[in-house]
Amino acid sequence: MNPTVLICDDSNMARKQVLRSLPEQWHSNVQTAQHGAEALTILRNGEIDILFLDLTMPGIDGVGVLQGIQKLNVDCHVFVISADIQPEMQSKVLGLGAKEFLRKPIKADVLQSNLEKHGLL
Amino acid sequence: MNKLHLSEDEQDCLQELINVAMGQASDQLARYLDSFVYLKVPSIESVDADSLATTLDQQQAAMAVVSQGFFGYEGIRGEALLVYQDEDSERLADLLGYEPDELSKDEQLIDISSILTTTFLNVFASQIENQISYSAPKLLPSRANSLSEHLEQLTFNWDLALKVNINYQVTDYSFNCNMVLLIPETAINNIKVVLNRILEEL
Amino acid sequence: MNPGVLTDEVTKKFAEKLSSKITDQLNTGILILDTDFNIVMWNSFLEVHSTKVSNDIIGKNVFEVFSELPERWLSRKLSSVLQLGTPNFCSWEQRRHLFELPHTRPITTDCEFMAQNCTFLPMEESGKIEYISILIEDATDVCHYQGQLQKALDKLALMSRIDGLTQIYNRKHWQESLEQEFAKARRHDKALSLIMFDLDNFKQLNDHYGHQGGDQVLIEISKTIGNLLRVEDVFGRYGGEEFAVILPETSILGAIELAERICQTVANTPIKFKESNIIATVSIGVAQLTERDSHFESLIMHADDALYIAKNNGRNQVCSGSDNELLKQVSA
Repeated sequence: MNPTVLICDDSNMARKQVLRSLPEQWHSNVQTAQHGAEALTILRNGEIDILFLDLTMPGIDGVGVLQGIQKLNVDCHVFVISADIQPEMQSKVLGLGAKEFLRKPIKADVLQSNLEKHGLL
Repeated sequence: MNKLHLSEDEQDCLQELINVAMGQASDQLARYLDSFVYLKVPSIESVDADSLATTLDQQQAAMAVVSQGFFGYEGIRGEALLVYQDEDSERLADLLGYEPDELSKDEQLIDISSILTTTFLNVFASQIENQISYSAPKLLPSRANSLSEHLEQLTFNWDLALKVNINYQVTDYSFNCNMVLLIPETAINNIKVVLNRILEEL
Repeated sequence: MNPGVLTDEVTKKFAEKLSSKITDQLNTGILILDTDFNIVMWNSFLEVHSTKVSNDIIGKNVFEVFSELPERWLSRKLSSVLQLGTPNFCSWEQRRHLFELPHTRPITTDCEFMAQNCTFLPMEESGKIEYISILIEDATDVCHYQGQLQKALDKLALMSRIDGLTQIYNRKHWQESLEQEFAKARRHDKALSLIMFDLDNFKQLNDHYGHQGGDQVLIEISKTIGNLLRVEDVFGRYGGEEFAVILPETSILGAIELAERICQTVANTPIKFKESNIIATVSIGVAQLTERDSHFESLIMHADDALYIAKNNGRNQVCSGSDNELLKQVSA
């Protein structure tokens, strides 16, 4: 059974980069969101297993989504994928429940080894 | 960013490349400066020739500008301008951990600008599989109109300026500087080719 | 060598030989350091100019060999090259030289050592930065000409403000200064006074001693009066034989006191011209800026009016004007 995936990033290219890094057989179960609010709407339904989340977005940003997930008590694995790789930011999002902090641009091998690490692949 | 005549995809791709470059550059810089400074991922806008002069002229009285040329393969070249407010430039020098009498404020400003520009453009270049060389950074004379004069005396006609607003945060302080990348039309076309290559690969 | 049968190996060797030859003929210094800042290689330019011997320096630490280098600062710069993998620069405009090398313009230049532009480049070896290449360009010529240009520009700027005969400020610059002082006085609510004076009977003086005599009087009087002023006072030649002094932060009382001194000193200082001693006198008008003066020109007008009265009252005297109220206060 393939997991359901949500990719949230305001950049179309970044979303495609994540998608391309995922196993082919997952692709039919992938949804995308362009900003935090859209992501939270989808997450609220509780059908997402894995969320790939950008941090810098207009409106509700990545940190806002993480806080929303805690508030709504949504059960999903969050991997933050960000260009802002300052140590402060990393510890902040890990503190908010993200599984991993991955730097952009995302590479397929890095993404997959991190999925393996958490038993998701 | 319409002045570029970039498609939505190309524009998105460029923004993403710049975000990543600035993110990594900030991180490297913070490490080099013992994590005293960090920079947020910047906001980016494109400015055409006429409005650049007017936007920057407004702040000109109290401004310090450091310019540095860059050139890479495939005709990618241009000039980077780092524009500081005068008071910020002084504070910056203090914050960067140089000894007070060690070197002049001018030299500190040139140093830090060069580090910012080259780290940023190096990461940017590596993403598009290019390599960039740099000319020595220069501080523009601090008098009225020096920026306009400088823009008139460039060795190439630039058609687009990418204005990257950089926000420094250092414990109690936060302040801004603008990085302006002046890029000639031929270079824009070359960048477009590269952007489309990246987009096709996706 | 027949180029037709060159193997790759031979071509490569030839190119290497060629590039090392070029390196040694370059008019730029090349110094290669390892990550501990030990000298790995240098070229002839440095060997010749530093008058050090290759055998003595290869493998040694750069700060040991060139003890003049600012170690703390340069180490940090070199570290940035290693750590960030980016080039770094040092320009003669901020730091005239790093290495103490003699230059090739011995006498005419005012700097002792070769002015330099230095570039620090990271050198990658299989993906890792292993060396730093320091390029040292001789910028003495540029530095020298830039210095001369700056001197010429400064001189020009000064000349455009100075009256050729008397060497005090010309009318244009004097008037600009008054405009600024007027604005300053208004902004900070400070007093501002003006002295205007005129050489008495200058026409007769000219007729009697000739124009050279007249010129001599103008020159000497300017000198004499210049010595009576404070640094912040602005002394200028307003017209032919008319002069003016701006007195920032000075009330009319102070201005009158100074005017009296000017008047007496001029009258008591004979001017030597050829065989004769010329006795010159001046008539002086003084005014202070008042609330009602909306423009700096009205201050000139008040001083000029007072000067006119001083002339009419028999010359060689001070008269103050600008405001009847002020005048009353002064005379009371």
